[in-house]
Amino acid sequence: MTDPALAKTAAQAARAQPDRMRQLAWTLLRGERPYMLYIAFAILLVIFSFASPWFLSVENFLNIGRQTTLVSIIAVGMTFVIIARQIDLSVASNLALSGMAAALAMAHIGNHWIVGAVAGIGCGALVGLVNGLLTMRLAIPSFLVTLGTLSAARGLALMVTNTKPVIITDETYFAVFGEGSLLGIPAPIAWTAAAMIVGILLLHYNIFGRRIYAAGGNPTAALYSGIQIKRVTTMAFVLTGMLAGLAALVLSARSHAARPDVVQGMELDVIASVILGGCSLFGGRGFILGTLLGSLIIGTLNNGLVLLGVSSPMQLVIKGAIIVAAVAFTKR
Amino acid sequence: MRQLLLTTILAAGSLAAFAATGNAAVPDSCVKGVDLATLGPKSIVGQGPHGEKAASPEVLALTDAEAAKVKAGNFKVGISMQTVNLDWSQLQVQGITDTLNKYGVTVTGVASAEYQVDKQIADIENTIQQHPDGIISIPVDFTATAPTYKKVSQAGIKLVFMDSIPTGLEHPKEYAAMISADSQGNGQIAAQILASCMPEGSTIGLVNFGVDYFSTNERTKGVSEWMKKNRPDIQMKQVDFTDPAKVSQIAGDFLTGNPDVKGLFAVWDQPALDSLSSMRAQGIDIPVTTVDLGLQSAIEIAKGGPLKATGSQRPYDQGVAEAMAMMNALIGKETPAWIGVQSLPVVQSNVLESYKTVFKKDPPKELLDACNGAKPACN
Repeated sequence: MTDPALAKTAAQAARAQPDRMRQLAWTLLRGERPYMLYIAFAILLVIFSFASPWFLSVENFLNIGRQTTLVSIIAVGMTFVIIARQIDLSVASNLALSGMAAALAMAHIGNHWIVGAVAGIGCGALVGLVNGLLTMRLAIPSFLVTLGTLSAARGLALMVTNTKPVIITDETYFAVFGEGSLLGIPAPIAWTAAAMIVGILLLHYNIFGRRIYAAGGNPTAALYSGIQIKRVTTMAFVLTGMLAGLAALVLSARSHAARPDVVQGMELDVIASVILGGCSLFGGRGFILGTLLGSLIIGTLNNGLVLLGVSSPMQLVIKGAIIVAAVAFTKR
Repeated sequence: MRQLLLTTILAAGSLAAFAATGNAAVPDSCVKGVDLATLGPKSIVGQGPHGEKAASPEVLALTDAEAAKVKAGNFKVGISMQTVNLDWSQLQVQGITDTLNKYGVTVTGVASAEYQVDKQIADIENTIQQHPDGIISIPVDFTATAPTYKKVSQAGIKLVFMDSIPTGLEHPKEYAAMISADSQGNGQIAAQILASCMPEGSTIGLVNFGVDYFSTNERTKGVSEWMKKNRPDIQMKQVDFTDPAKVSQIAGDFLTGNPDVKGLFAVWDQPALDSLSSMRAQGIDIPVTTVDLGLQSAIEIAKGGPLKATGSQRPYDQGVAEAMAMMNALIGKETPAWIGVQSLPVVQSNVLESYKTVFKKDPPKELLDACNGAKPACN
């Protein structure tokens, strides 16, 4: 995690004057009404801490961190797509297909974790590219394009092995993406952090990010300012696809196999996290840290309700109600 | 602002660096203390959906004269499945087809309903149009398909069910027989091996399917009844899931919230594997047993990790029994309402042989490799 750009940012922050500090904080935390989101999360933490003796422990927070990994990683990319006024419904199917690609590449090309990583992320990027090109070049609404790839990518994933899982045997692969740790941080959480940092740098500290905001906020103005909306938006889809690929690596490393039927319906959790995190479904607004908080709020709910022993149909009802309440609350 | 930043860092508290492990003291008797020859019920223990007593597949045997009668009949039989994408359903179909063909009965086709009620209704209506003499089917749903199955019997077509019976159909008027695995017996095998790994007075967790479904209910019932009768010292806690995709999260949280749980039963093999993946992540190593055998669960058992055993179904043999029941019905012999196919205990020492018994083929390379890495315990 020795990203030079991050080190630079951190060093700047350390040296900074109070107003500079304020600016950094503002950049990272900005959103529609960011404070409400933190309050909502804090309330949730307090309630569960009182309700369950097991909730407030490092071990349990690691659980939540690990469980939210897949959604958090993909939600970073989805934030770009939604800010650019698009949507990507294909992420869960893309994850399944990319996992199969990674496992099959390791089984047939070379049993090395790098082969798996390149195949998985490459496959994800390819699906993202198809989404981007169809949406931007053929001017088909992304809702329809990605509804199509949702179905097609899942079908392909099921087809390649006739619905059978592919077993992974490379121990290094398990360590790098699933079971190892970096400075004591479990690998899946480290990858989430890496995806977030890259997302923050790209969205908040890079010209690419400004173009994404412009493309989603006011496409006409952006076009007349010479921004290549088509290219920028396509890149957002590719980024989301690559992150779906990364999530696939994490999931398959954790389960020691790639399965074609995994995470069906997860795209809705991803979109809910992004919107809960203060992103506007109509584009132009949103921030990465908000997305992470959105994902953590949903993950904390899932975790806390199981710890409390709430029956599983009741969990669904409570979860739905709280998500709607949280969005309403943070909108005020 | 500085405080806000701090709050944010705390909010991302899951990034904290820490690792903790917790392992149970597993007694030496674990798995080894159980004699495979005496493991599991000697006969079918469960009862059918209508409380019927189970009959054994042997009652379906045909005499030479009867076999000749079947051959002379030139019968045609259709098959309607819920899906053909599972090993389980492919083996069933293979067992049925091999057996029927052996006696000169033609299989007109295999329809796959993809778990959709409307598709299955259409499949069956189309099959009726082919005028077969019999249909072997697993209903996707108990109630919505019932009127269609009644139409089948009204058309004079013999019906044999696998695993469940649509509501309101009567034996022997409307269907010839239902053949299923002994789900309670499978649960008992899982319970017996898990118990051998549990110290006196310990607690186990049951990872149960929260949807009301006959065969999964029976499995969990098999476990809890066996424990109450044979190991009353063991406490049981239960967690339910309704979405199989969420088992990893739910099982992980359940183990965090119940640190006294020192052994797990999962209601089929995939939830067991998902529980294993969250246990690995949390550094928990406690014995797990389950029901059903797949390639990945076979590999986990072969390796000698936390997955100790499974009570496996025998889908091919179940298919053979379904075909036999159908032929009995075709020549006008009455068959028992419910026929149970006995369970197969699978542990590390018999995993290769069991794989052959269940899948009717040699174990694949991945399984052989896993087993070779765990010699001599694995066989």
